[in-house]
Amino acid sequence: MKRKNIKAYVVILGFASLLFSCNDQLDIDPQQSVETGQALATSSDVEAALVGAYDAAGDADVYGGDIQFLSDLLANNGDIAFVGTFAQPGQVYDKVILENNSFIANTWLDSYRVINIANSVLANISKVDEAKKARVEGEAKFLRGSIYFELIKLYGKAWVDGNPATNPGVPLVLEPTNIINEASFVSRNSVAEIYAQILKDLTEAEALLPPTNGFFATKGAAAGMLSRVFLQQEKFLDAGDAADRVIKSGRYRLTDTYAQAFNNTGNSSEDIFAIQVTSQDGINELNTYYSQLQRGDVEIQDKLINQYEAGDERLGIYEDEYTNKFDEQFAVVPVLRLAEMYLTRAEASLRTGTNIGGVSAVADINTIRERAGLEPVTTVTLPQVLQERKLELIFEGQLLHDIKRTKGAVGTFPYNANNLVFPVPQRERDANPNLTQNPGYLGG
Amino acid sequence: MKKLLLLFLFLLNVLSFSTMAQNRTITGRVTSAADGSALPGVSVVVKGTTIGASTDVEGRYQISVTGSPTLVFTFIGFTPREEAVGTRSTVDVRLAVDTKTIEEVVVVGYGSQEKREVTGSIASIKAEDIQNTPTPSFENALQGRTAGVLVEQQNGKVGQGIKVRVRGSSSVSAGNEPLYVLDGVPLTTSVPNANGAPTNPLADLNPNDIASIEVLKDAAAAAIYGSRAANGVVLITTKRGNSGDTKINVSYFTGFSKPTRKREFLNSAEYVELFREAAANSEERYGSDYGPAFLETRLRRYAAGATDPLTYDTDWQDEVFQDASVNQMDVSVAGGTEKTRFFTGLSYSNQEGILIENRFEKMSGRLNLDHQATERLSVGMNFSLTRTKNYRLSNDNAFSTPMQIVALPPITPAIDPRTKLVSGVLDPATGRPNTNYPLYYNPLLNAIDADFLTTVYRNFTNVYASYKIFNGLTFRSEFGLDLLNQNENAYYGRLTARNTGTPNGTGISAISQIANYNTNNFFNYNTNIADVHSIDVVLGMSYQESNQTTNYVEGQQFPSNAYRTIASAADITEGSSSGTDYSFLSYFTRVNYKFRDRYLLGLSGRVDGSSRFGNDSKYGFFPAASLGWILSEESFLANSNLINYLKLRGSYGITGNAEIPNAASLGLYSGDAGYGGTPGQRPTQIENPDLKWEETAQLDFGLEYGFWNGRLSGEIDYYIKKTDDLLLNVNVPGTSGYRTQLKNVGKLENKGFEFSLNSDNLVGDFKWSTNFNYSRNRNKITDLQGQIIEGGYLNRAVEGQPIGVFFGVEYAGVDPANGDAIYYLNTLNPDGSRNRETTSDYSSAERVVIGNPNPDYTLGLTNNFSFKGFDLSVLFQGVVGNEIYNGAGSYMSASASWFDNQTRDQLRRWQKPNDITDVPRAYLGYANGTDPSSRYISDGSYVRLKNLTVGYTLPTSFTQKFHLDKVRIYAIGLNLLTFTDYEGWDPEVNTDYLAGNISQGNDFYGAPQAKTFTFGINIGF
Repeated sequence: MKRKNIKAYVVILGFASLLFSCNDQLDIDPQQSVETGQALATSSDVEAALVGAYDAAGDADVYGGDIQFLSDLLANNGDIAFVGTFAQPGQVYDKVILENNSFIANTWLDSYRVINIANSVLANISKVDEAKKARVEGEAKFLRGSIYFELIKLYGKAWVDGNPATNPGVPLVLEPTNIINEASFVSRNSVAEIYAQILKDLTEAEALLPPTNGFFATKGAAAGMLSRVFLQQEKFLDAGDAADRVIKSGRYRLTDTYAQAFNNTGNSSEDIFAIQVTSQDGINELNTYYSQLQRGDVEIQDKLINQYEAGDERLGIYEDEYTNKFDEQFAVVPVLRLAEMYLTRAEASLRTGTNIGGVSAVADINTIRERAGLEPVTTVTLPQVLQERKLELIFEGQLLHDIKRTKGAVGTFPYNANNLVFPVPQRERDANPNLTQNPGYLGG
Repeated sequence: MKKLLLLFLFLLNVLSFSTMAQNRTITGRVTSAADGSALPGVSVVVKGTTIGASTDVEGRYQISVTGSPTLVFTFIGFTPREEAVGTRSTVDVRLAVDTKTIEEVVVVGYGSQEKREVTGSIASIKAEDIQNTPTPSFENALQGRTAGVLVEQQNGKVGQGIKVRVRGSSSVSAGNEPLYVLDGVPLTTSVPNANGAPTNPLADLNPNDIASIEVLKDAAAAAIYGSRAANGVVLITTKRGNSGDTKINVSYFTGFSKPTRKREFLNSAEYVELFREAAANSEERYGSDYGPAFLETRLRRYAAGATDPLTYDTDWQDEVFQDASVNQMDVSVAGGTEKTRFFTGLSYSNQEGILIENRFEKMSGRLNLDHQATERLSVGMNFSLTRTKNYRLSNDNAFSTPMQIVALPPITPAIDPRTKLVSGVLDPATGRPNTNYPLYYNPLLNAIDADFLTTVYRNFTNVYASYKIFNGLTFRSEFGLDLLNQNENAYYGRLTARNTGTPNGTGISAISQIANYNTNNFFNYNTNIADVHSIDVVLGMSYQESNQTTNYVEGQQFPSNAYRTIASAADITEGSSSGTDYSFLSYFTRVNYKFRDRYLLGLSGRVDGSSRFGNDSKYGFFPAASLGWILSEESFLANSNLINYLKLRGSYGITGNAEIPNAASLGLYSGDAGYGGTPGQRPTQIENPDLKWEETAQLDFGLEYGFWNGRLSGEIDYYIKKTDDLLLNVNVPGTSGYRTQLKNVGKLENKGFEFSLNSDNLVGDFKWSTNFNYSRNRNKITDLQGQIIEGGYLNRAVEGQPIGVFFGVEYAGVDPANGDAIYYLNTLNPDGSRNRETTSDYSSAERVVIGNPNPDYTLGLTNNFSFKGFDLSVLFQGVVGNEIYNGAGSYMSASASWFDNQTRDQLRRWQKPNDITDVPRAYLGYANGTDPSSRYISDGSYVRLKNLTVGYTLPTSFTQKFHLDKVRIYAIGLNLLTFTDYEGWDPEVNTDYLAGNISQGNDFYGAPQAKTFTFGINIGF
C-alpha cells in the first residue's frame, strides 16, 4: 500500500466516523417495562392489561376499601365514631371535607386509572382471540361501568337530586390516554350522560360475560351492578329484574351463617363480585380501618347496636367496640353479595306492587332474616326493607347512596346537602382548569 | 612575599596558557532535576562564543572547547544554568524546572492547550497535590485547593459517598455531580447498593496514577461535553512514561486515624439525676405513667439489674471508635525509548475506618503504553484493574450503625455482668439475644455477628491510535471501557435478631455489573499563518453506551452462623433481577483562533443525542463562544516591570444536564400488576416525547494576572449560571389515568465569584509560597411551577430560596415561667410582617425559612515552605455560612423525654421559675420542645487544618552512593485541627441515608471525619 493511500484511507475513515449515525443506538428499551406501543400487541398482552385493570380496581383507594369506607363515614349519623389519627377520613366523618383532602383526590385518581386501563383494553379488543373476545370486552366494560358508577355517586349529585341532564357529573373519558394534549383537559359531563354510559357498559357487559369466570366479573356481577344503577334511577322494575336474574342464575348461594360471608380468603358462595387480596398483592383497606387488629379507627356506638333485634346473629360482627367483619387481612373485599339481590328484589316488588320473579317481598326479606337467625315476618314495609338493607350491608359502602336515592337524611343534612357530595379534588382542578367545583366548596 | 606573588602569577599564566592552547571535547548528560529524566534538545553554548551543541534524545551532548570555559545550558521551561568546566571532561548537569517561564499546559476536552491561551475557566490540580493522601478517593484532595469546587464527604465512614459541586447546584431533581472523564472516557459514578447509603465508585481509581485533574467550570471550557456539562466537567489524566532512563518509584506510608472530635454525653451520675428529675416532673404534671416508679424499674433494667443505677458508667463512644490503621504501598515504573514509552504502577492500600469493623482495601495495577509506530502513526493504551473491598457499616438510620450506640444510657455496662457477654447478646431466661435490654439494639452485636462486604472489580481500559495526515492535521480514534463489577454480600447472624426481626439469620447477595463503552474519533488541525494567525480546530464524534444489570436475592433462616451464603437459607424471601441502559451519540467541534499572540477567540459546539431524551428532542445543540485579550502583550504593558501577565476573558455558552432517569420520556407498561395470583400489566408512565436535558446558560468573566515577574499571580472570575427546563414531576389531569408527567419546566440560577492568588513570598534557598482561593456562590430557585419539593428532615426546594433551605417552626426558647418550649408564631400580619409573639403550641406556629445548608463562601489557604531538603506544606480549608440540622436532636437533646442518653447541654434545663435557659423542662415520656424546629439547627461553618505535610529529601550526594535518585521521607497530618461552633461531631456531614439534591446539611448520628497521621517514604531509582 502506498503511503498516499494510507492517508486517504485515514481521512475517509475519519469522515466516515463523523457521519456515523446510529439513531438505532439511541433507541434503548427499558428492561423492566415495555413501551406503551408494544405493550398491547397480542391477545395475551391485552388480557394481561385486563388483569391490570382488576389490580387497579382493587387498589386501596378504589374497591380495596376507600370507596366503601369513605362513603360510610359520610353517611354516618352517630352509629359509629371515627377515632383515627388521619385527618382526611376525619374530615369526611365530620362532613367538612376540604378541597385538598388527599383521600378524596386518590380515589378520584385511582378510579380514573382503572378507567384508562379498561379503555386501553377496549381500544385493543380487536387483538384478542375470537374465543375470548366477548369475555374480555365484557369484563372491561363491567369495570369501566362500575367505576363510573362509583365516581358519579361520590362526586356528582344523586340522580334523584334536581335535573340529571344539567347537573355536572364527572368527565367521561372513553379513549385510552397515549399522550397528554389539549384533549386531556376534559370538562365534566352531565350526570345523565354518565348514567347513560354506565347503563350501556353494564348492559353490554351482562350480555358479553360468561355465567362463571373464576373470581373475575361474570354475567351475574354485571346484572348485580345494574340493579344498583336502576335503584339509583328509581327504575324499580328494572332493578328487581336485574336482581332476579342474579338469583335465578343459580350460581350463588347464601352462606349458612352471616359470619361465613366475611373474612374469606377466596370468594364465598354468595360473593357475586369481590376484590382479591393475597399476601403477595392487594390491600384490604376495610381491614386496615375497621379491624381492631389493625388501626381500629372505627368504634361502634350503642346507637347502631340498638337497631338490631334481639337474637340477630348479625350482632356477632361486633366485638368490644369494634367490628370483626374485616378482621382477616388477606380476605377478599366483598363488592356485590347475593344477600343484596334479595333485598333489592324485595324493595322492587314492594315498590311496584308485584312479585318480581314470582317471589314476594316478604319471602325475600324472610330469606335474609332467617339466615340472620330471626323469626320470619308476615308483612313488610318499605322502611323495614330499607332498615334490613342497612343492617345486612353495613360497612359495605351502600348506606350513603341508599339514603340519597330514598331522599332521606344524614342527621340534620338532607339527602341533597352539598356536603354529602365529595369536592372535585383541588389537585385535579389545579391540573385541569376546565373542571368546575361542586357547590358548597371553595370555587364551587 | 613579592616573590611568592610573582610565582603565583606565573603559574597561573602557565596554566591558562596551557589550557588555552589545548582543544578538547567535553561530554555530558543533561537531566531534569525534578525527576532525573533525560532532557533532549537542550542548548549548550560556550559562554561568550557562538560555539554550541544540543543534547540528543538521551540528554547527551558533546562539545569541543579550548581551555576551561563556562558552559551555558538553556532549555525552554527550565532555569538556565552556567557551569564552569574546570579540568573536567565530563560535565553532567541537572536543570531545574522554571515554574514561571514554562508555558503551563492544561488538558481540555479532546486536547490540550497552553494555559495562557485558554479563554475558559479551568482549575488544574497536579499530581503532587493528590499523591499519597490517606483517603480512598482523590476528590478529598481537591478540598480547599480549587476555587469554585465544593467537596463534602458525607461522614467518616471509609469509601462512602461524596458530594462535589462545581459552581453550585444546577438541578433540583436530576444529577448535580460533575461529569468525570478519565483519559477521554466518561466514568460511571453511581452504582446500585443494598446498604441504603451510597458508595463512591471513583474510589476505584488509584490517586497515585493521576497526573493531573482539570475542572472545567464555565461554558467555554465545558460546552464541548454538551448535554452533560452543566455541573462542570472533571478531566482526569493518568500518568504516562517519558523516554529516557527507566524511573522506578517506590512509596510506602503507614499511619493511623482517630475521630476529629467526640461529642459529650451525660455520665451515669448526670444521667440518673436528670432522669429522676424528669420522672418527678412527669408525675407532677401528667400523673404517674412515667413517674419515678416507672423510671426506677427501667433504670434497674438498663443497669443490668443492678439496684444502684450508678453501678456502671459507660462511655459508649469509646466502644465503637478505634485507632484505625492505614497502610499503602505503591510501586511505579516509567520510562521508554524514543519510540515506546510506558508507565506502570501497582498499588495496595488498606485503610481502616475510625469506626469498628469499617475498612477499605484496594489493590490496583495500571499499564499506560504509547508507541510511535511510524513517523505518522502512534498507538497506545491505558489499562488498569482494581479490586476494592469495602467492609461496610449500616447506614446512619439503622440502630445497628455504630454511632447510634450513643443513644444507650451510660448506666448500662458494656459487658453484661450476668452473662459476662456483651450487653444484648444473651438473655439467660430465653437463651436468645435480649429483646428489651439494653435500651435499643446494641450496635456492637453487628460488629460481632454481622458483616457487609462490597467487593468491586473495576477495569478502566482505553486504546487509541493517532495518525498525522499531514503537518498540522491529525486524526485520533479512541475506544474506552469502564467495567464495574460489584458484589455485595451481607449476613446478619442470630445475635442481630432484635434488629433484623429474624431469629435465625438474614443474608443478602446482590450483584451489579455496569459496562460502559465509549469511543471518541476526532480530527485536530492547527496552523500558523504568517506568524500572526494561529488556528486550532477539533472536529469529531463520540458514542457512549452503558449497560447495567443487577441481581438481588435475600434469604432467612440459616441452620447456624457457620452458613452465611443464601444457599443455606431455608426461606428465600426476596429475589429479583433488573437492568437499565442508556446511550449518547455526539458530534463536537472547537475552533480556537489567536491573533498576534494576544487576541483570542474560542468557539465550540456539541450536538448530543441520547436514549434518555424524548423522540421529539432526540438531539440538543450546545454552543459556546469566548473571547480573550492578553493585555500584557500590548505595547503599553510589554515593558512594564510591574505587570508581566494580564488577560481578560469572557465566555457565554449553553450546557446541559442529562442526568435524568433512563427511559423517562417513554410511555411505559410494567408487569407488576398481578391480581389474585394471575399475572397482569399496567400502564405506569405517560410518554413525554419532548423530554430533554436541563439547560444551563452560563456567562463568565475572568481576569488572569501576574505581577513582579509572576511572583504574584492568580485569577478572578464572576459568573452567572441560569438553568432552564428543570425536570419536574408535573401534575396532569388525573382523568388521563396518570398523575404526573416528567417535564422540563423549572428554573434556577447560580451566581458567584471566585478569586485565587499565588504568591512566591520568598525565593532563594528558603522558599515560601502561598496559595489562596475564595469562592462564593448564591443559589436561587426561580421557578418550580409553584411546587414545594420536600427532602431530608426540613429541607425544601421552593421558589425564591436556595435549594434545600430548612423550612420549619422557629424555636423561641423556654418560657421562664414554666419551662415549656416556646415557638415564634410567625403568622403573617396584614402588613406582610411576621407575628413575633410566641406560643407553646407547636402546631399553631407557622413554618418559615429557618436556615440554609448552602455555604456563603468557601476558602482554601496553602503555604509551602522549603529549605534545602526540607519541605513543609500547610493547607487550611474553610466552609462558611452554612447551617446544619441535627435530625437526631429530637432524641439526644430532648430534655430526657425518653431514655436515650442526652447531650451534656441538656443539663442546663429549666428547673425553677425565672430560670433563663434554652433547654426546656424535662418530662420523661412527654415531648417538650423536641418537635423539629430551629432548635436543632446550628451554624456549620468551619475552618480546618486540612493537610499538614512535612518532608525531607535526602541530599543527592548521599543517596547516589546507594544508586538512588531521590529519597524523601515525610509525615502527613490530615484534618488535624477543626475550628467550628458546630455542636455535633463534625461539621463536614450529610447523613448518608438521606443525602440528595435537596436533602443537604443534615446530621443524624453521622460519623465524624477521620483525623489521620501518616509517615511515609518515597524512593526513586
